[in-house]
Amino acid sequence: MSDFDLELKQLRKVYPGGTIAVEDFDLQVSRGEFISFVGPSGCGKTTTLRMIAGLESITSGDLFIRGRNFTHIPTEQRPTATIFQNYAIFPHMTVRENIEFGLMVRKLSSAEIKRRVDAMIDKLELGDVADQKEGVLSGGQKQRLALGRGLVTEPDILLLDEPLGALDANLRKSIQEELKILQRELGITFVFVTHAQAEALSMGDRVVVMNAGRVEQISAPFELYTRPKSPFVARFIGRNKIISGRLVRSDGTTAEIATEFGALRGVPSFSGGDAGNSAMAVVPSEYVDVYTTGAEAAEDGLDVVAGRVTAYDPVGQVAFIAVTLKDGTEVRLETYREKVHGRGIEPGSEVELRWRPERTTIVLDAA
Amino acid sequence: MHQLRSLRWILALYTALFVVFLYGPFVVMGILSFQQGPEGGPQFPIVDPSFFWYKHVLGFAPPSRVAPLPIGEALTRSLTLAFATMVVSTVLGTLTAQAFRTRFRGSGFVFYLVVLGMMVPGVLLGLGMALVATNLGIERTWWGTAFVLHVVYTYPFAFLVMLAIFNRFDKSVEEAAWALGVPPGRTFRKVTFPMIFPGVLSAMLFALTLSYDEFPRTLFTGGSEVTMPIAIYGTFAVEIHPNLFAFGVLTTLFSFSLLAVYGVLMSVSVRKARLRGSGIQEDLA
Repeated sequence: MSDFDLELKQLRKVYPGGTIAVEDFDLQVSRGEFISFVGPSGCGKTTTLRMIAGLESITSGDLFIRGRNFTHIPTEQRPTATIFQNYAIFPHMTVRENIEFGLMVRKLSSAEIKRRVDAMIDKLELGDVADQKEGVLSGGQKQRLALGRGLVTEPDILLLDEPLGALDANLRKSIQEELKILQRELGITFVFVTHAQAEALSMGDRVVVMNAGRVEQISAPFELYTRPKSPFVARFIGRNKIISGRLVRSDGTTAEIATEFGALRGVPSFSGGDAGNSAMAVVPSEYVDVYTTGAEAAEDGLDVVAGRVTAYDPVGQVAFIAVTLKDGTEVRLETYREKVHGRGIEPGSEVELRWRPERTTIVLDAA
Repeated sequence: MHQLRSLRWILALYTALFVVFLYGPFVVMGILSFQQGPEGGPQFPIVDPSFFWYKHVLGFAPPSRVAPLPIGEALTRSLTLAFATMVVSTVLGTLTAQAFRTRFRGSGFVFYLVVLGMMVPGVLLGLGMALVATNLGIERTWWGTAFVLHVVYTYPFAFLVMLAIFNRFDKSVEEAAWALGVPPGRTFRKVTFPMIFPGVLSAMLFALTLSYDEFPRTLFTGGSEVTMPIAIYGTFAVEIHPNLFAFGVLTTLFSFSLLAVYGVLMSVSVRKARLRGSGIQEDLA
C-alpha cells in the first residue's frame, strides 16, 4: 500500500493534432491533502484533472491511486468523483435521484442506499428541495448537489474542476470556507482546479502552478508567495515587485544581481547559476517600505531603490502609491499606511523604496 | 411609421396567400367529399350534400356502378411499412448521430453518404432498385425492396434531427455519470436517452409520415401488393369519383391525429418534468 493517495509520474498528454497539452507532470499527493492546480487558461490544469478522472486519455506516463496503476482504467472504474464547473446535474432527475444515481450500480441494499442518500441530503441541507429538479435550484444548491452526488459514492479522491466559477463573489467566499471545512472533516484528498490564484492559495495545502503544459512550481501557499522559483510564478502569484538585472554571484544561500539601480541581494531560487545570467529580484509588496530620500533608516543593511512619487492615495489603513524609477518604470504599491514613512510625501517627492534583502528572491530568467 | 404599415399589409397578404395555398386544396377536397352520390362527379357544383361517399369508402353504401376503393389491405400495408420504417430509421439515425459526436476519419464522407439517401431523386432510386432486384432475381415486395428504400430515404431525416439534438447536448452530463461509476451503456439509457427523447419523438414523426405517403420509390419496388398511395394512384387510371375525396379527408384527419398524439407525448414529457420538479406528482400518486 502506497503512502500516497495520488501519484503522477511523467504524465503527458498530446492531442491528435500534435498539440502538447501536458508534459513532465510529476506529483505525489498524501492522503487527505487539499491540492490546488492553478494557471492561466490553456495551461493544462483541467486536462490533467480530466486525465486523473479518466475523461481524457493519458498519452504516456503513469497514474497511481493508492498505489494501484489506473493509467488505462476507464472512468467508471476509478475511485474518483468529479465536480464539473457547470455542475452537470441530471436535469430529468430530482435532487434525490441525482444523489442515488451513482449508488445504483454499486452492490448495496436499498435500505443502505436510502440511508446514505438521506444522510447526504441532511448534511448538505438539501431536504427542502429533495424532490425538486434542477430548474428550481439556486446556484449554491446546485453546487452542493454536485458535491453530494460525488461524495455519496465515497471516492478516494474528489476532483473539482473550477467548481466555484459560476458563483457570485459573496457566495464564492462562503462556499470556499464550507469546502475547506468539509474536506478536513471527511479527510478525503481534494484536487481543486482554478484559474484564480487567490482561491488556489487560500484553499490548497499545496499549490501546483502550471504554465503552457508544464509544472512551474509545487509549493505550500506561503512559500509560493514569498519564494517563487520562476519568473512566471513571480508574476502570476502575489503582488510582487520585480526588478531585472544580471547575476553577479550566487553561493546557494545568497545571491546578488547588478541592476540599473545598483546591486540587489536576495535568496536564490536556484543552485549554481553563472555570473552574467539574466536574473530578477522579486520582492513581495508588503515587505517594501517607502521613505523620503535620505531619511534615516530604522535598520541597516537594506536594499534601496530611488524614485519619484507620481501618485499617492492614502485611504484609511491602506495606501496606494506609485513610484516612477529613474529608468521610467512605474512601481505601483498597495500597502499599509504605516509602510509609507515620513511626512509630506506627495506626488513629485523624491523617495526611496527599502526592504530587507532576505525577503527578496533572486530568480533566473528562463531566456 | 408609414413604411411600417405598408410592410404589415404585405406580410398580412403573404400570410393569407400561404394559408390559402396550404389549406385550399384540402378545403376544396373536403367540400367535394360531400357531393351527392352515386351520380355526383368530382367537380363543382355540389348537387345535393350527402355522406354517401364516406359510407362508400367505409363499405356501407348500397352497391352501385362505382367500384369500392381497393384500399383495405393497402392501408394495413402502408401503416405496417411506415411503422417498421420509423423504428429502423430512428434507431439508425440516433446511433449514427451518436457516432458523429466524436470526429472520426472520413466523417465528412460518411455524412454525405447518409444524406445522399434523401437527395437522390426517388424515381431514379426506385427504378435503379427495381433493375438491381430483377438482375439479382430478388422478388420485389413492399416489405423487402420497398422497405429498404423507405429506410434509405427516411434515415437521413432522422439522422439530421438527432444530429441537431446532439449538437446542443451537454457532454459533461454524461461524463458526470461515468465519473460516478456508471458504465457507458447504462449512462446512455438512464441519462442520455431521457434527455434526447423529445428529439427522438420528432425523428420518429418524420420517418413515419415520410414513409406513409412515399410514392416514387414504392411504385417501382413495391411489387404487386401495393401500398396505399399506389392503390389510390391506381384508381386514377379508371375514373375519379368523390369517394377519393372522402378518403382523402379521412387520411388527413388521421395525419392530424398523429400530430395530436405527438403533441400530447411532447407536452406530457415536458409536464412530467415540471410536475415532478415541483413535487406535485407525489400528491397525485
